[in-house]
Amino acid sequence: MTKKTDKGSTIVILLIIIYLLIPLVVSIIYSMFSNWTGIVPQGFTLKTYATLFQDHEFLASLGRTILIAIVPIVLTIILVLLALFVTVIYFPKLEKYVQIICMIPYTIQGVILSVSILSLYVANPTFLSNRIIMLIGAYCIIILPYIYQGIRNGMRAVNMPVLLEAAEMLGASRIYAFFRVIVPNILSAIVVSSLLAVGIIFGDYVLVRNLASSAWPNVQIYLYQAMKSDSMKSSAVFVVIMAVTFLIAAIVLYLQSREKKGKKH
Amino acid sequence: MSYIKFENLYKSFGPNEVLTDINLEIEQGQLVTLLGPSGCGKSTLLRCLAGLETVTSGKVYLDGKDITNVDPKNRGIGMVFQQYSLFPNMTVLQNVMFGLAMKKVDKKVAEQKSKEMLQLVGLGDKLNQYPAQLSGGQQQRAALARAIVTEPKVLLLDEPLSAIDALLRHSLQVEIRRIQRDLGITAIFVTHDQEEAMVMSDMIHLMYNGQIEQSASPTELYTKPRTSFVASFIGHYNLFDAATMKKLTGEDVECENVAFRPEIIEISKKPIEKEDAFLMKGTINVSLPHGNIIRYAVMCGDIQVDVDELFGQSELFESGDEVYMAVKKSECIFL
Repeated sequence: MTKKTDKGSTIVILLIIIYLLIPLVVSIIYSMFSNWTGIVPQGFTLKTYATLFQDHEFLASLGRTILIAIVPIVLTIILVLLALFVTVIYFPKLEKYVQIICMIPYTIQGVILSVSILSLYVANPTFLSNRIIMLIGAYCIIILPYIYQGIRNGMRAVNMPVLLEAAEMLGASRIYAFFRVIVPNILSAIVVSSLLAVGIIFGDYVLVRNLASSAWPNVQIYLYQAMKSDSMKSSAVFVVIMAVTFLIAAIVLYLQSREKKGKKH
Repeated sequence: MSYIKFENLYKSFGPNEVLTDINLEIEQGQLVTLLGPSGCGKSTLLRCLAGLETVTSGKVYLDGKDITNVDPKNRGIGMVFQQYSLFPNMTVLQNVMFGLAMKKVDKKVAEQKSKEMLQLVGLGDKLNQYPAQLSGGQQQRAALARAIVTEPKVLLLDEPLSAIDALLRHSLQVEIRRIQRDLGITAIFVTHDQEEAMVMSDMIHLMYNGQIEQSASPTELYTKPRTSFVASFIGHYNLFDAATMKKLTGEDVECENVAFRPEIIEISKKPIEKEDAFLMKGTINVSLPHGNIIRYAVMCGDIQVDVDELFGQSELFESGDEVYMAVKKSECIFL
């Protein structure tokens, strides 16, 4: 009976994996073969990748994507940590309102958000009308629910009020105790929500297209241009984006696991 | 002059008054227990002293100084919490060193002192372990070391042993008492367990409904409870009102309640003749062995009287046996 269930679940999991991997595998094959009209692709070549990595514009766009992911994530983490510090310690009753505010972006579509931002800031030129600043702001809003929920769950998992009181009784100020005792204990929650945010920003096209396509042409814009001209190249760009996302996740998770191992020995 | 003093202290959470007019003095070097049922305000009183709760009105003095509005970090008070409160991201040694680092003690000195303190609580071999790798008892020992390494003026212990199993709890009670005596530190221990309070304290302050019901040494509290609540809370007293006493013994008493301990009752299958004693007759309902004593629940009509007898010191009774009981009036407490 158990064996049967085991087999059944293995088959289901395999099917899901195949379903998820097909687009990636097809893209990889498509980007490496010049001719794929029959069942078996023909004309293996890595020329597309070689050209791609020699293209400064592509490398710059990739760099822009990574940079535009890091800045909003760091900003949002700091913002959420400070907001939660103040609400949890001083105004616990306000926490539900903070939660509601942080959850609103879930319901806002990218098109609506970008159009609203444009209509609000472009008309009155201030430093906020800068395209890149608008884009950073928009990303901060989009990733807010994920970062908030991740950090909040992490805080629930550690017994924050008791730890803070213990630190306070030992002579630490609340803010010092928060950053020295609480934050290190919710690091894994911060990391996981950051990775989620990286995925969201890497997958965005609408916001960057509407807010800063010329000021900040990132890899999504590059991909869109490539799709119009060369399908093999666009597959290669897609594969590189996926690879970079995996790489970032792998590096972060590796660093985190190394730190955990260090704690155990 | 007393070392710690609460003066006309009131504390409310919204409309709920948790502490009502607390006036309490504590001597230096003593281990004092705040005992009482849950919700009686004992932890709140402790937290008012720690500064973790603000008082609604009244004053708190420590070592002659008014500390009512002083920040917790500046009060010089150490505390061990009910929940495990070691910092999970730090080793045991780092945890203990934390308070010294806050006091800007030289790192080498701090490390030396912390190691000595961990040695004292029996964790000399766990310096580099993380809290998650320790048992509950070890975590509370480490928390104790962390609280006393900074040489606080007072050590507060808020039910630190309530999450620990009985056997280990007993050994930790003895150990906390030993360390407190060795260091001569003033300590306030909060518990709802009267046995724990009896074992550990120089002085017990029994609290009920946000007020101090009785302050006395453990022996005095046990033998001379001043109110019916104290009698019912401490030592399994048989507590009966005048009407019930009349039904039970046929005698009139000139007080509201009569209390007598189960172990002072004489019990026999033969009628007992004794002067100046309450005489009762009943049937053994159940007998429950409690370690070295055996407790009988004797039904006198619909009134239950508990009787404790030492194992092997007297005849054994079985359920259904008819028994006679006597209790000397001089040993009863009339409330």
